[in-house]
Amino acid sequence: MRRTGSGPDDADEIPLVTAHMVKSAQRIAALNDAAARLGLAPGVTVADARARHPGLAVVEHDPAVDHLLLTAVADACDRWTPLVALDPPDGLMLDITGCAHLFGGEAALARALAVRLAEGGLAARIAIADTPGCAAAVARYGARDTPVVVPPGGQDAALAPLPLAALRLPPGMVASLAEVGLKRIADILDRPRATLAARFDGLLEKLDAARGETDTPISPRRPMPACVTEQNFAEPVLLERDVLDTLARLGARLARVLESRGEGARLLETALFRTDGRVVRITVGTGAPLTDPARMARLFADRLAVGEPCDPGFGFDLIRLSALATERCDPVQGGLDASDATAELAHLVDRLSTRFGARRVTRQMLRDEHVPEHATACVPAQAARVAGSRHGLVPSPRADALVPARPLRLLQRPEPVQAVAEVPDGPPVRFRWRRVLHEVAATEGPERIALAWWRDADGHALTRDYFRVECRGGFRAWLFREGLFGRETPHPTWFLHGLFG
Amino acid sequence: MVVPPPDPGEILRALRSRVAALEAHRPPPDAESALALGVPTLDRALGGGLSLGALHEIVPATPLDLGAAAGTVLVLAVHALHRVRRFAHREILWIQPELAGLEAGRLYGPGVAELGLSPARLIELRLASERDGAFAMEEALQCRALGVVVGEFFDDRALDLVALRRLSLAATAGGGLGLLLRHRAEALASPAATRLEITAAPGLPDGFGGLGQPTVLLSLERNRRGPTGRWRLTWDHHEHVFREAPAPLSVAAAAGDRPHRPDDAEDRVRTG
Repeated sequence: MRRTGSGPDDADEIPLVTAHMVKSAQRIAALNDAAARLGLAPGVTVADARARHPGLAVVEHDPAVDHLLLTAVADACDRWTPLVALDPPDGLMLDITGCAHLFGGEAALARALAVRLAEGGLAARIAIADTPGCAAAVARYGARDTPVVVPPGGQDAALAPLPLAALRLPPGMVASLAEVGLKRIADILDRPRATLAARFDGLLEKLDAARGETDTPISPRRPMPACVTEQNFAEPVLLERDVLDTLARLGARLARVLESRGEGARLLETALFRTDGRVVRITVGTGAPLTDPARMARLFADRLAVGEPCDPGFGFDLIRLSALATERCDPVQGGLDASDATAELAHLVDRLSTRFGARRVTRQMLRDEHVPEHATACVPAQAARVAGSRHGLVPSPRADALVPARPLRLLQRPEPVQAVAEVPDGPPVRFRWRRVLHEVAATEGPERIALAWWRDADGHALTRDYFRVECRGGFRAWLFREGLFGRETPHPTWFLHGLFG
Repeated sequence: MVVPPPDPGEILRALRSRVAALEAHRPPPDAESALALGVPTLDRALGGGLSLGALHEIVPATPLDLGAAAGTVLVLAVHALHRVRRFAHREILWIQPELAGLEAGRLYGPGVAELGLSPARLIELRLASERDGAFAMEEALQCRALGVVVGEFFDDRALDLVALRRLSLAATAGGGLGLLLRHRAEALASPAATRLEITAAPGLPDGFGGLGQPTVLLSLERNRRGPTGRWRLTWDHHEHVFREAPAPLSVAAAAGDRPHRPDDAEDRVRTG
């Protein structure tokens, strides 16, 4: 695949090459048609080429940018099949099994693909064959005019006239094959396999793969979605409202398919294909299997409302909705009043997660830990399947205590306070927190909590003595003294860790 | 011909009827539309209790009272889940801007559990920007699967009158209890049904010198259904009930402006 010239009359085109450093010399990596007509080829040193053609334009070869272009084209090719693989440095592999009939057959698909790439300013060589190896060989080394469609089972005939390099052998092997007079694939098709296998390691594997004797899967860039629906437009759509309407319709179709499978969507993706080949993808996750199309559309509307504005360019001509992940979802019979509270809550959590991020909508899970900051963990509400949430109100864990033993709010990190105690290991008498002096009226404690030594890599963990204190005004706080006086440290420090309700 | 000037009394009546329509007076509360707090004088002042499907503001009297105010909010929420039958399976959403969490700490699961709420029934939403708070709270209030929605606001700029009015309408539509915990106690106009100002108060020490039950001084600053006043309340976290705390001897009995004839609605001072 190469970028074509700027206009139809290539005569004015400036010969242009890209150069990179190979074996301590600047050599041509790629060139345009004008440069090729001058007789230049990849691998020629830039010094030679300049000597022959002083007007040659040379730019630095940038493989990273090439790769970006290739992935962008691969994105655009998603409209033909969900299975698109990169074939670096300049190829793409599309598995169109089962897709060709949607576009009027293989030849029609290839033509349509060529037209689309040409509209994007790219010259491409396209071949369709039974095996990836054969298609790649024909596309790169086959007839001058593409697209070529190799008929089913016609690999041998298509491969025979091609040079051996078409099999993508290691560079040295092509040369050593040429030394013994083997230049084309036809030369090795009828050779005894044993001798070839003995002398050329890996040759037969490549040949068998191209001929279809062995099966070679491609590795697609994106995982295969569980379920896909899409809508083509003769006239590109531009308005967000139209996109959302389409998504609601597609969602209804998707929901029917999922429902027949007894599944619901957990991860949905919308792909908006712009006419110029760009693809905008929007992914939303759900906390529970979702089958309601209106809710699917609502999630995407929320995401569009907060995400970066998506530029429609000249419009979208293909909108695809896929369920990337699904989960079993048994149909629930709705009541007459249709008060499906669980689903409604799940939908609210999904919407808030979609809008603000799943990490911001959380539930707390209590853990059996002594260290206060480890006693609870925040998990995304979408991920937390609450099994026992219906038991509701819990009895207080310390039923004998007159007051709660744990604060309602915990500071994110304990804040140092200046505290005065009557004796070094006694309760505080007064303390200063955030520049306000508090006179302690009553205390309870200490509650001694030693930090877990196995978590403490440096061996500096100090024991904490926690006190619940009530100040003169009624302000209640959770203070601790870090370090046992005399044993662990000569100067214990005080911290405020939480506020009581 | 001279058009007679319109009767001022008629204009006033027309305006009053329009205001009454805008104010959307609801019928007097029953057990399912008001949350009785279990303190008779307070419930009478509130006209049966905190009305459900409405917005209530809770503000700390000083920044130091924020812990007590947050505790009151949580306790009101627990009380609602416990007492209102249709809330029996509902959950609580607590919306907190990140900044408020840094300033005053996040809700702590074990502490929440000790006040009587299983953390499994609490969903927290932590927002990067306070401006999203009003939107999130409005969406949540409309959801009928949530019993109580708590919106914590550090800064009042995110809450203008329009936002508050929308929240109030959303609460009416959803039927849940909307609680606004505002860190700054600025006496601005607000469409909220009530405004409670919370001051931490010393608890009555137990007989052994330990800490007594947490006590707050609740001042009903604004009340659409009745008079204002002040109460001293404690929360019994074993039985999940409010109790009126006896006033400490050194302080005069909290008087406030309670109605002197509680049964006679006409005499009440309407505020808000």
